[in-house]
Amino acid sequence: MGARRPYMRTMSKTSWFMTHARFKTYMLHEISSVFVALYMWLLIDGLFRLAKGPEAWEAWLSFIKHPLVVVISLIAFAFFVIHTMSWFKAVPQAMRIQQGEHFVDGKLIIGGHYAALGAFSLFVLILAGVA
Amino acid sequence: MSKRTIQLEVLRYRPEQDKEPFFQTYTVPCEEEWVVLDALNYVKDEIDRTLSFRWSCHMFVCGSCGYKIDGEPKLGCKAFLRDYGDNIRVEPLDNFPIERDLVVVIDDFVEKLQSVKPYIIAKEEKALAAGEYIQTPAQLKAFKQYSMCINCLLCYSACPQYGLTNQEFIGPAALALAHRYNMDSRDVGRSAREHVLAAHEGVWECSFVGACSVVCPKDVDPAGAIQQAKFTSAVDYLTSMVGIGGK
Ligand code: SF4
Ligand code: FES
Repeated sequence: MGARRPYMRTMSKTSWFMTHARFKTYMLHEISSVFVALYMWLLIDGLFRLAKGPEAWEAWLSFIKHPLVVVISLIAFAFFVIHTMSWFKAVPQAMRIQQGEHFVDGKLIIGGHYAALGAFSLFVLILAGVA
Repeated sequence: MSKRTIQLEVLRYRPEQDKEPFFQTYTVPCEEEWVVLDALNYVKDEIDRTLSFRWSCHMFVCGSCGYKIDGEPKLGCKAFLRDYGDNIRVEPLDNFPIERDLVVVIDDFVEKLQSVKPYIIAKEEKALAAGEYIQTPAQLKAFKQYSMCINCLLCYSACPQYGLTNQEFIGPAALALAHRYNMDSRDVGRSAREHVLAAHEGVWECSFVGACSVVCPKDVDPAGAIQQAKFTSAVDYLTSMVGIGGK
């Protein structure tokens, strides 16, 4: 019998996510939230312009109608949808609702979230006079 | 029963003679219904007695046969050969030091497990004669899933946070068990476990990659348990700020 000499394999701190398809998906998902953050920033900027007065607001409106900004917005929207879906999908794991000896079906919880999102979006659209 | 021959590539490490681990390939004649553990046992019995690996129950109960099989943490006794090609790569679990061949050093996990006090802390110890602690089926249901853990450590092998923090992160199974006892109606130990759960290395180190729940052979869903524990930990923090104590 030899002496103990445990061998520790190293893990790359910068490219660990390349070692498994699951980690690559995770990383892409995390990185894509940058688009979501940028779009939030654009919207918040709009609020500030609105507060500044009609001229600033009009300038912001024409800015977001620029074709390039429209394309970026569409990309951001796609990521918004992806992040919303993955977030809702995780909810039943993080929020279990117990009724007696059973848990409420996760699909119901997810469905409830989509319903709430739909209702809220409709409310905003009505408020904005679009719907 | 049909025979099949596979190439089993096993990561070997013999501390007394190897500077570092290396792959050794064994040609193994297999029965169709075999699992990877059977193939390893064939090697041990018929080809190479020096190969070391842990196992005991051969029925997904003891949790000793965790290996990385074709890049995925698996129980050797639950990984059926029919689900793999003719070339199967078996390595020790990631994130743990290799003691020898497929055997890893798990002292770190055992320490972490102890740190979350994985046992019922009752309000007052009852004398044996006073009978059992009563629990309804609904109260049992609240934590039962998290009590199914067999300490196989597949989740620690799958968890990038455990590796990235140089094993500082308390990790999936220990946190899930902490949550299991916190959810138990007979237990009042939440505040005694709080300093471990709420610590930087506790639940907040989890970035919800979710790999632990994917690889868990017992459907424990440690990732779910940790997200729930984040919520209770935040509530405990807020209530302690305003001076109303939790459980
Ligand atoms: S939580 Fe699952 S994967 Fe992790 S040690 Fe327990 S049984 Fe194994
Ligand atoms: S040998 Fe016991 S779990 Fe596989």
